Parts: sequence; structure tokens; C-alpha cells
Amino acid sequence: MSEQRIRTRCACGWESIGVADDVVRATIEHGRRIHNMVGTREQVLAQAEILDSGDPTGPDPEHVDAGA
Amino acid sequence: MTRSPAGWDIDGPIQAEVFVVWLHDGVLELTGPCGAAPWLIELGAADHPVEVVDRIVRDVVGDPLLVHSTSWRRDRNAVILTFVVAIDVPAPAGMDSRPIGRATLARSEATAAPRDIGTDQVVEHALRHLAWLVKDDPIVRGELSVAWMSTLSAYVPEPFRNLG
Repeated sequence: MSEQRIRTRCACGWESIGVADDVVRATIEHGRRIHNMVGTREQVLAQAEILDSGDPTGPDPEHVDAGA
Repeated sequence: MTRSPAGWDIDGPIQAEVFVVWLHDGVLELTGPCGAAPWLIELGAADHPVEVVDRIVRDVVGDPLLVHSTSWRRDRNAVILTFVVAIDVPAPAGMDSRPIGRATLARSEATAAPRDIGTDQVVEHALRHLAWLVKDDPIVRGELSVAWMSTLSAYVPEPFRNLG
């Protein structure tokens, strides 16, 4: 069974792409550490873009940092 | 300032906008986790703005020379507190950096804020404020190198201001 891949994008340009659990964890950590934000899984998923049904054995979520 | 209209964005009634500045061969440059773009930090009701900015800067960028609030304005449905953070090391690995250009200031009307305030104008004022502190504040003067103070001497000193 494959897991759905999603993408979250911070307004600062940072992105995370991968399976939901990994992306949610990375996004909450980015918000906490860089922006002093307190986010929930539900908030992250509500803003996430669904990409496709990916390979659960695939690589860790990608993080793209770029100036907004 | 243009930001992504959708996605994970900074919110809240009070936000810090941080400009991390370093001196690169006599030229001031902007860097930080958002590159040269403003670095936004949420501030909670119980947060002290300076303490939060200092803590996060130390964690993400490294030890700063100075953390100083230089202006405030109304924007993004919030009160934005602008901070200039001076560092005495190069831009951290993986963080973009861009030379700072000069800009005209956004001037208030007699009883009203400027209609439009650009990021370059906020940075210009922040550096003019730092130039003012070099002349007025011995602690700031003691933290900055001769090269820093020489570079800042090109800026017209200005005190803390409400930009809008």
C-alpha cells in the first residue's frame, strides 16, 4: 500500500515534500524553530497540497529553502 | 512586500521582522533563513519581542553582535516590529546573502502614516537608526568594529520611528 505524497510551502520559501507524517513533522518543526509558530497536524494538512500516491520506501522529505 | 498568498504563513497581531546584516568586504549584506527577504517571527501575548528574536537568532544564525528594534508599522493585519541584527561572521552556509542598496525613506504625513512602505525603505531606516546609535549609544559603539562604524557613517542618523 502506498502513502500519499504532499507538499507544504512556507511563506518564506521553505518547502517540504514527502509522505504526510514526515512533511507534517518537518513543517511543524520549521514553524517552531524559524518563525516561533505553534502549529498542529490539522493546520499543516489543511494547507498542504496533495501531489500523488508515492512510494512509502522513498527518500526523506525534501526541503527547499529559498528566499521568498 | 510580496509573500505567498497561500500556504503556511506567519500570523498573529504582533510580528517581528528581522533583518540580519553582516559586513562583506566593506559592503553591508542581508542574510538569514529567508535569504535577503524579511524574516518574520510570530510573537505571543506573553513574549518579550527582544528576547524571542535574540533566542531564535542564536539558534538559527548564531551569536549576534546586536539585536535592536528600529521601527514599527502596521502591515499584514498586524503590528510589525522591525529588528536589525548585526553579526560579525559571514552569512551562514545555506543562507542566501544580498548586498544592501540605498533607498529613499518612506516619510509620514503630518498626521498620517505613509501610504506605501517598501522593504528597502524599512532596511534603509534600520541602518540609519543603527548609524544614530553608533553616535548616541556607547554600548552599540562598543560592539561594532571600526569597519562597521565606517560603513554606517554613510547613513544619515535617524532615531526610532513609526513607519506606518
